[in-house]
Amino acid sequence: MADTPNTPLLTVDKLGVRFAVKRGGGWGKRAFLYAVDDVSFTVNRGETLAIVGESGSGKTTAALAVARLTAAYTGSVKLDGQELLGLEGEELRQARNKVQFIFQDPYSSLNPRQRAEDIVREPLVSLTDKSGAEQQQIIDRLFAEVGLRPEQKRLFPHQFSGGQRQRIGIARALATQPQLIICDEPVSALDVAVQAQILNLLRDLQSELGLTYLFISHDLGVVQHMCDSIAVMYMGRIVEHTDRLSLFNNPLHPYTKALLSAVPSVDKKRRAETKRILIPGDPPDPVNLPPGCRFANRCPAATDVCRQSEPPLTDHGGYHRVACHLVNDSKTAAI
Amino acid sequence: MTTPLLKVENLRIELTTRDGVAPVIDDLSFELGQNENISFVGESGCGKSMTALAIMGLLPEKIGRIASGSILFDGEDLTKASPARLRAIRGNEISMIFQEPMTSLNPVYTVGEQIAEVIREHQGLGRKAAWDMAADLLDAVRIPNARGRVSDYPFQMSGGQRQRVMIAMALACQPKILIADEPTTALDVTVQAQIFDLLRDLRKDTGTSIIMITHDMGAVAEMAERMIVMYAGRGAEIGPVEQIIEHARHPYTKGLTSCVPHIVSQLTEDRARLTEVPGIVPGLKDFGKNMCLFASRCNHRTEECLSARPPMKPFENGQIAACWHAEDV
Ligand SMILES: Nc1ncnc2c1ncn2[C@@H]1O[C@H](COP(=O)(O)OP(=O)(O)OP(=O)(O)O)[C@@H](O)[C@H]1O
Ligand SMILES: Nc1ncnc2c1ncn2[C@@H]1O[C@H](COP(=O)(O)OP(=O)(O)OP(=O)(O)O)[C@@H](O)[C@H]1O
Ligand code: SF4
Ligand SMILES: [Mg+2]
Ligand SMILES: [Mg+2]
Repeated sequence: MADTPNTPLLTVDKLGVRFAVKRGGGWGKRAFLYAVDDVSFTVNRGETLAIVGESGSGKTTAALAVARLTAAYTGSVKLDGQELLGLEGEELRQARNKVQFIFQDPYSSLNPRQRAEDIVREPLVSLTDKSGAEQQQIIDRLFAEVGLRPEQKRLFPHQFSGGQRQRIGIARALATQPQLIICDEPVSALDVAVQAQILNLLRDLQSELGLTYLFISHDLGVVQHMCDSIAVMYMGRIVEHTDRLSLFNNPLHPYTKALLSAVPSVDKKRRAETKRILIPGDPPDPVNLPPGCRFANRCPAATDVCRQSEPPLTDHGGYHRVACHLVNDSKTAAI
Repeated sequence: MTTPLLKVENLRIELTTRDGVAPVIDDLSFELGQNENISFVGESGCGKSMTALAIMGLLPEKIGRIASGSILFDGEDLTKASPARLRAIRGNEISMIFQEPMTSLNPVYTVGEQIAEVIREHQGLGRKAAWDMAADLLDAVRIPNARGRVSDYPFQMSGGQRQRVMIAMALACQPKILIADEPTTALDVTVQAQIFDLLRDLRKDTGTSIIMITHDMGAVAEMAERMIVMYAGRGAEIGPVEQIIEHARHPYTKGLTSCVPHIVSQLTEDRARLTEVPGIVPGLKDFGKNMCLFASRCNHRTEECLSARPPMKPFENGQIAACWHAEDV
């Protein structure tokens, strides 16, 4: 596994997911909410791409579309060279083996009536043809791997703590030996001490098994610790995408700058250095988007160009992609 | 030092559950000065909200009671105040933003009606005057186009706006103390930053003292002068925020700070493994035992820790830590 590092495992191209919503008047006119719009990125083997952005920006929807758990209306998702969109039947089942999800809520994502070992067994039954004995062997190994004791296999979810439940969720995700694991806010429901245990576990598993993560989190401290690169989403689009150090030390998009400046920090030096960039107001109505940049109505640097045409996501050198008309312009550099 | 606005002394609150009676708050003492901002931190279930509810006189009925100790507010002992008196204080002098903003607004009334209702009840203003004041308050908490939005229903507002409505309601009576229980936990960081700014301005303009409960050390560092770290119903450490972050005297505080990956001023390639604090907070039935309740998770533990509850040890710089080995931490 991970034979050629630094080659893309996942390549997402111009992905679009839209939802039909009823809008206005007694006629119930149909309109679309473009939850994911023209999203492209790659994730290298054995690496972690974090997706950040405010609530409703489309992080979960994008991830669900990658895993074929929600339908994309356009675009392409290639895993290990294979196009996933459009797969059906047995082929889809095979492909699903390779992508697994770890959910935010370790309380509601586990079936309360199933024993821990059966929860972990489930993907083996539905997605593979392993025999009962093989399944049991895999389960035993997974329990050890995620730090659960063998005698805990027969317990029900309510008999575990939150952190232990998340370990069950991780074991379940690992069962089919996936290549890509999507972690959607995997620690936000946990106390900080337990959070550290799970984050360490995820990193250990990554280096042991060569896993590739798509990691969604609203906690930029956690993201900073976990990722190799980061995509910042705003209203369904990627506004900035680059490697970890460039994003945190040299953010270029005004939204990213505002986002980072808003993170409270225990680091005295950072607090002294950081000038808070306030972005007043609310994001626009997602069903009725204005022309131009979606961030323009809140952006401290916006000009007429921004309100008229939508900025494309372009590479500003060294794979630092930014969707802003004014990058390298004296006006945004100043914020 | 002037007399504190709020002085909590040796507070003990007992909860009666199926497992018996347990001290959910056990011998807690702290002070809040005029125009001061203090923060409570600690993991889930450590008694942060319970402390706030005790001050508000809102302990869960039949289950919770103040067993001993005092809560002196402006010299008056709230533990001895009548329900009517508590209600009056609650509306006018101490108010609270609750942990779950979505459930604390009534979905069938407009936000203006809900704020005006509070104003009328506590300040005896007429309908029209209260409505105008509601709009002013929405404006003060920076809801854009406040006059237009005062007749919105809660569902028509974003999470951040609803939280600002909650703050407007809490401010309606110009309280001397504002208790904010996880006021921003469910919100995006950019919205959190706005709410923090709002609270800071409020304090500057009106001199209100703030008690903020949070999970986030960064938020504490940003907002408070002093912090109280709670563990299993007890104060683990109390003191000035900067000092505690720099050098915690309780192993639990140290664990809380170092298990979190923080954003720092200049990020580098190296990423140290996160410090783990093994185990979890004990359940309520273990509260009150005569030992250090953190012992099972602590790497400084000795025999002493298991045989007696550690006293609050004061340090010269104002830090106080309940740990037998505080000097060595
Ligand atoms: N099934 C659905 N039907 C209609 N709209 C939807 C559906 N699922 C998501 N949306 C909308 O799509 C947008 C993106 O939602 P999504 O859940 O992907 O956001 P997110 O970035 O994951 O947010 P959060 O941080 O709150 O989890 C939102 O406007 C949301 O309301
Ligand atoms: N109504 C109740 N009945 C029984 N036990 C309760 C009740 N309310 C709280 N408790 C218990 O009291 C303890 C302290 O609860 P409290 O709500 O003060 O915790 P907290 O520190 O605010 O936690 P969180 O961070 O999760 O809000 C917990 O063990 C909790 O389970
Ligand atoms: S008293 Fe003992 S067990 Fe408790 S925190 Fe201090 S060293 Fe650890
Ligand atoms: Mg989501
Ligand atoms: Mg609470």
